[in-house]
Amino acid sequence: MSRADTAADAAISFEAVSKWFRRKDLLVHALSRVSLDVRQSEFVSLIGPSGCGKSTMLRLAGGLLEPDRGSVVVDNQSPAEARRQKRYGFVPQHPALLPWRTVRRNVSLLSDVNRRQDNPGMSTDDQLAMLDDIGLTPFLDSLPRELSGGLQQRVSIARAFALGAPVLLMDEPFSALDEITRADMRYLLLHLWGQIGSTVLFVTHSIPEAVVLSDRVAVLGSRPGRITQVIDVGLPRPRHAEVEDSDDFHQVLGEVRAALRQGWSS
Amino acid sequence: MVELTDWTPSSVPGRPDPEGDGEPGLDPEFPVEEPPEVPRRPVRRAALLVAPFAGLTAFFVGWEIYVVVRNLRPLTLPLPSDVIIHVVENPGFYSRNGLVTIQEAFWGFWIAFFAALFVATWMAHSQFVERATMPVIVLMQSTPVAVLVPIFLLWFGFSPWPKILTAMLFAWVPFVANALIGLRSIDSETHELLRSVNASRWEIYWRLRIPHSLPYLFAAGRICVGLALVGAVVGEFFNSREGLGNAARVAQSRLLVDQLWGSVFVLAFIGVAFVLLLIAVERRVLRWHSSQDTDHRSL
Repeated sequence: MSRADTAADAAISFEAVSKWFRRKDLLVHALSRVSLDVRQSEFVSLIGPSGCGKSTMLRLAGGLLEPDRGSVVVDNQSPAEARRQKRYGFVPQHPALLPWRTVRRNVSLLSDVNRRQDNPGMSTDDQLAMLDDIGLTPFLDSLPRELSGGLQQRVSIARAFALGAPVLLMDEPFSALDEITRADMRYLLLHLWGQIGSTVLFVTHSIPEAVVLSDRVAVLGSRPGRITQVIDVGLPRPRHAEVEDSDDFHQVLGEVRAALRQGWSS
Repeated sequence: MVELTDWTPSSVPGRPDPEGDGEPGLDPEFPVEEPPEVPRRPVRRAALLVAPFAGLTAFFVGWEIYVVVRNLRPLTLPLPSDVIIHVVENPGFYSRNGLVTIQEAFWGFWIAFFAALFVATWMAHSQFVERATMPVIVLMQSTPVAVLVPIFLLWFGFSPWPKILTAMLFAWVPFVANALIGLRSIDSETHELLRSVNASRWEIYWRLRIPHSLPYLFAAGRICVGLALVGAVVGEFFNSREGLGNAARVAQSRLLVDQLWGSVFVLAFIGVAFVLLLIAVERRVLRWHSSQDTDHRSL
């Protein structure tokens, strides 16, 4: 299959994308000729050192930034058009919950805005069922400041899924959590994703997280940001915590680590 | 469809177990421990309620003792008890004049609030508007408002407008400065989140910027209640036939010490009453904000 064919089938397609940031006299080359196709219902992680352009790629995919060269296509549309049609569930690094809204109303936030679009998100009943499924029922009427960091991030993830969006963009959503909560959240994410089957672009600094979650891991190098290698994870699904004890898991872990090291040295 | 990963909420703190069947997260083997009795502290709660009255009483008692001990003449400093008795004996006079001042301060306060919000909204959305408006605000801030009152009198004569405008000008700068900070200080990730679903500027303004600016607006409101009253009184000083400012001016010119101090007491009472009202509203509206936590006050 040619690259043109795969790009046409892709849910998210980066085609020779370059991006610079200009801050006063400083010109930063954030991304250089990046190409990547993410297939429908595929879970792809972006991993790399700080400043390698992972979050920039996510924002380009979400139409929050414009490429300086090349193109980004999402479901055969421009990211701006996909944004207009509410096709993204965005999970930022911090929960970004509105402190004056209860858990229930934070989860429905993305459905409440831009109501002109056809995508109204999950019904209220479905939202409540999902919140019950992930253990948030006792906290429905709690304010964010009454929740722990892990619970807040759980609400943030539920908010993205509540939109029922075909594309999920996640920017290091677990980076501020402790290791135990973080490990738990991986499987919560897989659990919810298994029910919706959205296409996921996931930014992370954690190699085990990338391997547990992803179908493929795109390794980025820095200065300028570029994709140095794309690694097929190939671990069977559904994945449970035991997968992290398997030899296959450790083998992929080693591959990603080696690719990162290689990207760093080059 | 992707195959399902099992996940149970293993780390939900305090998750109830209504069936008692050992829901995930609650180890049935682990002995249930009753929480300790938290002692209720009605005395502390009552003390907190009484504290403002205790402070005021101490202030007035101290004043009273000072006047008696130093044997001061009423013209120098009257006994607070005499002033309070004078006010209580003339309820019609003070309520009539107080109502006039309250109305002027009320309209000045709200006109200042909405004008400030309107201007701050423009400034928050456009750097050009901010740069163009800032010198005008600084100009208004550094011009003594009192010197403008004769000009307002020329424009509006003996109507309430000179007083309302003076009250408005006194209150407007703190409102505009706080509103601008509040509208600007939104969380960038939340802003990005709303943009990711193409929220309109109006939606971002209404759902994000306005609620974010509320703590700043309430903080400004507490200051501006007093400033609007001061503005109304300054307006009345210049030319007015009614209001507490006018009552104080007349009392000063005729050496009516009781009326002069009575006007001051009633004005202070009105200011405190409105600030308390504002605090009560703030507590209700800003239930979500960290400023309403009481824990952080303990060392």
